[in-house]
Amino acid sequence: MNKPTGAVISAKSSTKKSIIDFLEKAMDKGVFDAVIVPMRVPAGDSFAYVLIKDKSLFKDAFPIPPVMFVQGAKAVSSVTRLGKGNMKIAALMRPCEIRATIELAKLGQTDLENMTLISMDCPGVLPTSDFLSDPEKGMKQFDEAAKNLDDKIMRPVCQICDKSSMMAGDLHIGTLGAKKDTFFVISNSQKGNDILDKLGISLKDNIDSWHAKVKNISEEKLKKRKKAHKDLKSEIGGLDNLLDAYNQCINCHNCMRVCPVCYCRLCYFDSDNVKHPSEDYLQMAESKGSIRFLPDTIFFQMGRMMHMSLSCVSCGACEDACPVSIPVAQIFSMISDETQGLFDYVSGRSLEEPLPLVAYKEEELHEMEDAND
Amino acid sequence: MERKIGVYVCECGPNIAEKVDIDKVVGAVSSLDGVVVVEKYKLLCSADGKKFLEEEIKKHGITHLVIAACSPKQHEKTFMEVCENAGINPYLYQLANIREQCAWITEDKDEATKKAIRLIKAAIGRVKYHSSLEKKEIECNPAVLIIGGGVAGINASLELASPDRKIYLVEKTSSLGGMITNFEKTYPSMQPSSHILKQKILDMDKNENIQVFIDSNVEEIIGFFGNFEIKVKKKEVDEPAEFEVGAVMLATGSNFFDLKKTPQYGYEKFDNIFTALEFEKMNLSGEISLKNGKTPRSVAIIHCVGRDEKGYCSEICCMYSLKFIRYLKDKIPDAQVSNFYSDLCIPGKSYQKFYEQTKGKNVDFIRSTNVEVTKKENKLSIKYIDENGNKNSLLVDMVILAPAIEPTSDVSELAEIAGISQGDGGFFAEEHEKLNPVSTSTDGVYIVGCAQGPKNISDTIVQSGAAAGKILASLIPGKKMEIEVKTSHISESFCIGCKVCISVCSYGAITFDEAKKISVVNEVICRGCGNCVAACPSGAATSKHFTFKQIHQELLEAVK
Repeated sequence: MNKPTGAVISAKSSTKKSIIDFLEKAMDKGVFDAVIVPMRVPAGDSFAYVLIKDKSLFKDAFPIPPVMFVQGAKAVSSVTRLGKGNMKIAALMRPCEIRATIELAKLGQTDLENMTLISMDCPGVLPTSDFLSDPEKGMKQFDEAAKNLDDKIMRPVCQICDKSSMMAGDLHIGTLGAKKDTFFVISNSQKGNDILDKLGISLKDNIDSWHAKVKNISEEKLKKRKKAHKDLKSEIGGLDNLLDAYNQCINCHNCMRVCPVCYCRLCYFDSDNVKHPSEDYLQMAESKGSIRFLPDTIFFQMGRMMHMSLSCVSCGACEDACPVSIPVAQIFSMISDETQGLFDYVSGRSLEEPLPLVAYKEEELHEMEDAND
Repeated sequence: MERKIGVYVCECGPNIAEKVDIDKVVGAVSSLDGVVVVEKYKLLCSADGKKFLEEEIKKHGITHLVIAACSPKQHEKTFMEVCENAGINPYLYQLANIREQCAWITEDKDEATKKAIRLIKAAIGRVKYHSSLEKKEIECNPAVLIIGGGVAGINASLELASPDRKIYLVEKTSSLGGMITNFEKTYPSMQPSSHILKQKILDMDKNENIQVFIDSNVEEIIGFFGNFEIKVKKKEVDEPAEFEVGAVMLATGSNFFDLKKTPQYGYEKFDNIFTALEFEKMNLSGEISLKNGKTPRSVAIIHCVGRDEKGYCSEICCMYSLKFIRYLKDKIPDAQVSNFYSDLCIPGKSYQKFYEQTKGKNVDFIRSTNVEVTKKENKLSIKYIDENGNKNSLLVDMVILAPAIEPTSDVSELAEIAGISQGDGGFFAEEHEKLNPVSTSTDGVYIVGCAQGPKNISDTIVQSGAAAGKILASLIPGKKMEIEVKTSHISESFCIGCKVCISVCSYGAITFDEAKKISVVNEVICRGCGNCVAACPSGAATSKHFTFKQIHQELLEAVK
């Protein structure tokens, strides 16, 4: 595909309402049979992904909610893990959720053939704990911050996200750079083109203002990201500092459970492979003087980095879930930028891009060889 | 089960004893958990040594054995046999290499002793987690499929065919013989090439254990060493022939470089420019002549055509070009023959002599670059830069081009069908250039002759004999075949079905169970390389005898 093209849609009431109208219209025309979209729970203090079949329920849909309780990729994978089924489903999610979905598709954990992935410009996500302390206040603060493009109250990893408008799915809804009461619908695939064609939306409008604004924001955030990673590296570099960083880890494995790309049926670190006879522990204690329990805490963290950093999308779910506030997502975003960089890979950028682990290139990794010379 | 570990340290004569303090080693590992006996011995691989070990195992009721001696490459099997004779499973033993990796390479005796202790401790740590593995055998079919009816395929067929081994030879053209049938004579003997082939083809016809398919292509090869199912399709016949074989040999030959890619030689633009093959055919037909029917008085042979484009030397062009000089001199004794070459490749015990005898009056060898052929009146003009960097030219009546040898056009398709890969220059890739030049990454699939790379008739025959020998030695009629025991295994409860293992398996040993959505290893095909184990993100794939636990314990002791 060349530079993506788009259309300007005018919003009759709120942008949110118009986006939902757009999905409803698509269901009316039979373009989708169902839609996966976030919804505010009746109590108002939480959001959940729902698969909507009954259009009347769209009134409670809430695209781009202020928090991320469940990473959207997990929702998509739940629906299609065992095959694509007959229904055409659209999923409206944040770009990092779409990218995680694409990683899962490469890992055989979801079938996207009948799925349409729709991303939206993302202003960031509030830390779960901040939101839960006062949901109503959180809602207001989030709306205000999103309007002013102010990310100070967002999660730290969102503040350094340079891919908050990245198009990886089939369609993208752009709000940045749009004139008042309008938004952009942008196509990123043939599937996207076909859908807009069926809806009678032609992709002829000028969306340069969106491209310009996105470029501007990404560049700025990338600068911040590099700076943050540099600082973090000097803070946690080396095994001793890394151990310090994870000092408070309670080995709950929450980070693993909420991670969209940590898809194993049973985590290696929960398996018998890391359980040893008591004489081994005694031996380890003997050689070092003592051994800390629970053991394998840092081993688990490093193992997860090894396993997942090539697919990590820096969505921040792990850090939100950490009960002792370890900056897991920031650490992972730094590690994964480096590991993915080794292979010129960007997780979830494209379904066609093979996972670095399964793509053999004779020429790659020579820089690592040289480092050892 | 209670583990009773026996540790035996071999002095290997002076080889280990001189550099390692054996008594200190014995002392250091004696009190380790689970170790019931530690002994030293002069030479464990000797007949007495093996008998001693056997008796010791029985006497102490040893369940797990550690031998500290030489490289597993040398004596791993020796001590596995000892285990079997003594009644313990041969995989419940570990060999610590304290000779090649310790005694021989460590200057300081103290250091060497310390290292030996570490290596033995690592072996003890590992052996505790060894499990018994059972030898496995499968029934196999001794028949062989040979693809390609040239000299390689014919020779291998005759070597292999016997009343208990059927040979299926598949040739895509309408007759047997291949490339050689175009040649009048072969170098360096200058004997008629029919001497090589005629009798062999007659023998093929008579041999009822050989079934020849002409005008046919192999459509499908599925299965594994010992049990391949084959489909062969004959042109203009709807139903393919189906049969089973135990091994496959690819003897599909080669092609010549496409001269359209080197327009500077004027091929197909001017008359009287021939390829080597066209010249062979012209010579075989009896008369060497120009288009106007006249006899050429001067001929240029241009070597190394396409060598730069292909990036390799085709090995045989120099020699057949010398043969062409002989053809020319036989038929036109006073012809002037000029060879334009960049390097002469005339190796071996008999070729130099052939070259010396071919050189002589009216035969020139011009080392040159930037060779170009144009037309000048009735003649062809060869422009070139000589060895001293000077521009030069020469007028001749006829030009013969010696193009590079390249893989046949169907090489990729065949590689896919046979489940093997392509290597340098696009030829079929051998398992190891030096150690296993006729084997491939797929067990039971062999490559011979020019399909593996450019080569002459002698080397082609050598290779077809080598591959036949490999088949004769491993695929024995009536005998079951022993298969790899140390295969990988994918845990059903761990596997999440991401198929990463399938994409990294070099042997096509992993299939996907669509019902359960998990990967499954075919242990008959698996060679235990460990690719899937390394790639599996879920820790579902493990390598028997190289489990995480075994390696972890071994490392723990080694680096402690």
